[in-house]
Amino acid sequence: MASGVATEQETTLHRELGRIVGESFVLGGTPERRKSERRKGKRKNQKERKTFADQLSDCAIDGVIPSAVVSPADEKEVAAILQFAGENDYNIVPQGAGTKQSIGATPQRVDILLRTHRMNEVLHYDAGDLTLSVEAGMTIAEVQGILAKNSQFLPLDPMLPERATIGGVLAANAHGPMRSGFGSVRDYCIGINFVTGDGKTAKGGGKVVKNVAGYDLMKLIIGSMGTLAVITSANFKVFPLPKQTRTFILDCSDLATAIAQRDRIIASPLAPMCLELVSPRAHEYLSAKSEVRDPDHYAPQQGMKRAEVYSLVVRAGGSDAVLNRYRKDLGEAVSRELAGAEEIKVWQRLSNFEDSIRTRHFNCMVVNAGVAPSGVRAAYEAAEQSALEHNLLSASIGRAATGSLTFAFVPLGVDPPNAMQFANVASSLRSRLPKGSAAVVVRCPLEAKERFDVWGSSANDMALMREVRAAMDPKNILNRGRFVV
Amino acid sequence: MQRPLSSGLCYNLRIPMQFHRLVKQLKKIVGKDGVLDHPEDLMLYEYDGGVDRGTPQAVCFPQTTEQVSQIARLATKENVPIVPRGAGTGLSGGAIARQGGIVIGFSRMNKILEIDIPSQRAVVQPGVVNLDLTHAVESRGYYFAPDPSSQKACTIGGNVAENSGGPHTLANGVTVNHVTGLEVVLPGGRIVEFGGKAAESCGYDMTGFFVGSEGTLGIATKITVRLTKLPEAVATLLAVFNTVDDAANSVVAITAASITPAALEMLDGWTLRAVEAATHAGYPLDSGAVLLIELEGLREAVDENADAVREICLRVGARGVRRAADEKERQLLWSGRKNAFGAVGRISPSYYVQDGVIPRTKIPQTLRKIGEIGRKYDLQIGNIFHAGDGNLHPLILFDTRDREQTKRTLAAGQEILEYCVSVGGSITGEHGVGMEKMAAMPVMFSEDDIDVMTRLRNVFNPAGTLNPQKLFPTTRSCRETYSPGHPSVGGPNATSEIHGAD
Repeated sequence: MASGVATEQETTLHRELGRIVGESFVLGGTPERRKSERRKGKRKNQKERKTFADQLSDCAIDGVIPSAVVSPADEKEVAAILQFAGENDYNIVPQGAGTKQSIGATPQRVDILLRTHRMNEVLHYDAGDLTLSVEAGMTIAEVQGILAKNSQFLPLDPMLPERATIGGVLAANAHGPMRSGFGSVRDYCIGINFVTGDGKTAKGGGKVVKNVAGYDLMKLIIGSMGTLAVITSANFKVFPLPKQTRTFILDCSDLATAIAQRDRIIASPLAPMCLELVSPRAHEYLSAKSEVRDPDHYAPQQGMKRAEVYSLVVRAGGSDAVLNRYRKDLGEAVSRELAGAEEIKVWQRLSNFEDSIRTRHFNCMVVNAGVAPSGVRAAYEAAEQSALEHNLLSASIGRAATGSLTFAFVPLGVDPPNAMQFANVASSLRSRLPKGSAAVVVRCPLEAKERFDVWGSSANDMALMREVRAAMDPKNILNRGRFVV
Repeated sequence: MQRPLSSGLCYNLRIPMQFHRLVKQLKKIVGKDGVLDHPEDLMLYEYDGGVDRGTPQAVCFPQTTEQVSQIARLATKENVPIVPRGAGTGLSGGAIARQGGIVIGFSRMNKILEIDIPSQRAVVQPGVVNLDLTHAVESRGYYFAPDPSSQKACTIGGNVAENSGGPHTLANGVTVNHVTGLEVVLPGGRIVEFGGKAAESCGYDMTGFFVGSEGTLGIATKITVRLTKLPEAVATLLAVFNTVDDAANSVVAITAASITPAALEMLDGWTLRAVEAATHAGYPLDSGAVLLIELEGLREAVDENADAVREICLRVGARGVRRAADEKERQLLWSGRKNAFGAVGRISPSYYVQDGVIPRTKIPQTLRKIGEIGRKYDLQIGNIFHAGDGNLHPLILFDTRDREQTKRTLAAGQEILEYCVSVGGSITGEHGVGMEKMAAMPVMFSEDDIDVMTRLRNVFNPAGTLNPQKLFPTTRSCRETYSPGHPSVGGPNATSEIHGAD
């Protein structure tokens, strides 16, 4: 956008956005300032301007710097921004905290980054009815804090809860270990308010726990990656916090034993809150954070003693009698039992697995796979073998009972990876997964991203999804080119 | 016999060729014995669990997805409405050929295609009866969780269309929480796949969006469902109260105490007396209300929660709480609840059953309001409902032959629904909008909300030939105004367990 026309467009962009939300909530400046920055580069004495440019580049998505960042205060402002963007063919990327912005294809350009952080109020909380409405920009941790005052919670434990927002988690259908016992957010989101690509403010569902009036727009918009609408608020069914919890770790000598233990738990009357399967190499990312060394070359410890076990991590909640039942039924297979702070830490680390991989390896690839429960063993083996084949190491965790898995691929220390290695391992993994599985690459080096489709094939009819997208975002301004293209 | 509501007819039903030629083509697709077109046969397909009616010109019974696709293609080409139909137990008119046209019956697509216990999934054709799936898997320790009261007859295809609930969906969720994949025929005949056995798939959640679309988006021809493990222990309690208020407050207290029963049902005094007279389930005749509470799960948890529930009910004012000693007593307690609609049918020539939902904290005040509305319109209203999730089923008794009373019944029904929405609730919890509640949609949804839904329907069903004139309030393409003619009314014959609202 170096031409004079573009500059003029940018002026209009910033002015118009300022008119909608107030100037102080638009990041991005006059074209004069931007031009002079470009000319002078990052000279130290341009302090103010540098800060300003840095702020924008901090918001870059896959290296693409947005022309403007706007923070609307409410649904009305969101609608005005989308209408304005539609009229001018501006591409919009909606964002909560950006913890999951690595998902999806690299955008060609980002005109407006729409941040929801100012929309962070509780709209309605009826503790007696166990229902809650919150705005999209509120963080998961804030929501849990509010619910905890009434001994309630949302069984939503995605990575980085202090930053991740309700809107972002819904848009990405993110989940954590509690997905196992409570279902995904689609199972307890009971209503949603949103603005369509053409600026229409609408809603689906309601505030009650049972409701079949009208189409289930919650289901459609959850997991739509910001391509159908900008979520402005959502309503949830919340849950009572268990009186107490305990975590039982079952260390198994190999994958087959771990799967057999999993099958035994699934077939038993036990109904754990969480049931995670941790591969041997994944343990390293669940222990205390080691020093981040040269991120480009850091590799997992090779010579050091490392847990060579597959672990099933089982979390149960309830009274003493219920927990005793778990102890009795799980029996001698239990290697360790955790409680209190130690227990909480383990689950935080499991939730933050992807982030832990990211902070330790600049070059890493993370895949979220969905397989049928009977395909979990094959999927873990597929990850292991695909990594071996392409000179990478794999670390895997996942919801062993539901088949929602996370596979990380990290480089060997001796061998800096190239982009094709990642593309190949993705394709190798996909070909090895049981039929009907999904494998979405949610994080990988930029150079690799250009070489393959991060989404992979879909079990859903593609042509119909495109039409659905066109119905919700007729001008194709929401996250253009990143998902369902 | 009532005719289709003429006031609702605005869909331009042009049949550009003689219908018998169409029937001939249908016979070519599904075989000679797969099509009904004699008036006396068609009469059997003109109603569902309510009494809204509409007569199709033909009913056909495909056996394969390919045949469904051919029927859909033919109907679209000829601009003839198609209406998919399971067992016809619905309560909102979803399976009624309101505009005439072709009804596609799924009684010949009733096979369980696969049972995959290691993945806790089953793949079924749409005509499989809900309870038959449970029977097929219970010996292996599993069941299909959604349990509408019509589960002995209703089909899984119909459950998918209506997103059916049931008494036990309080803890386990409704149909949409138990469907992971679909094969769907679109109105033009195209066959598409959504999801599969994996719980997570790439792309939009088309499966979740489709469930509950009331046959307006496509025709499900193959359904992948989740199977649920049978609970180790079940406890069924009957709590008896002197007043409706005490019972309602107990529901609030149980919810607040962090106990999620598998089912939590309430019958008010009038209804329980009607039920007791018919079923002898053991409900005390002089009580003001009873709660039927079921707890499921791990033995230890069930015992603890049963004790806790008993204590709460007694504290709030129950005059007694009884726990079923054995399966026989449990079945007896449930028989009263399950046959309630039939029991009411013995007393009144007709009744209007509603399906509004309210926040659970608002149950006491809403029941008082319903009492007030009953007095205001001089009508007897019985209450029997899923108290645990706030899903009301007020039964307004009336006589269809009394026009003036019918009018009052409608007005009372509308007032109850409006009150439900005004306290933050919904117009329907599990029966669907169908024909019956189209006019009430604007009470809940704005014009823009409806517009978004319309756009999505048009993606799937652009010509509107699939299940026309359902779910959406008066369409804009339609100049006439839809006026609700008849509420869903049950008479003694339409109120057996099979047709029971749950």
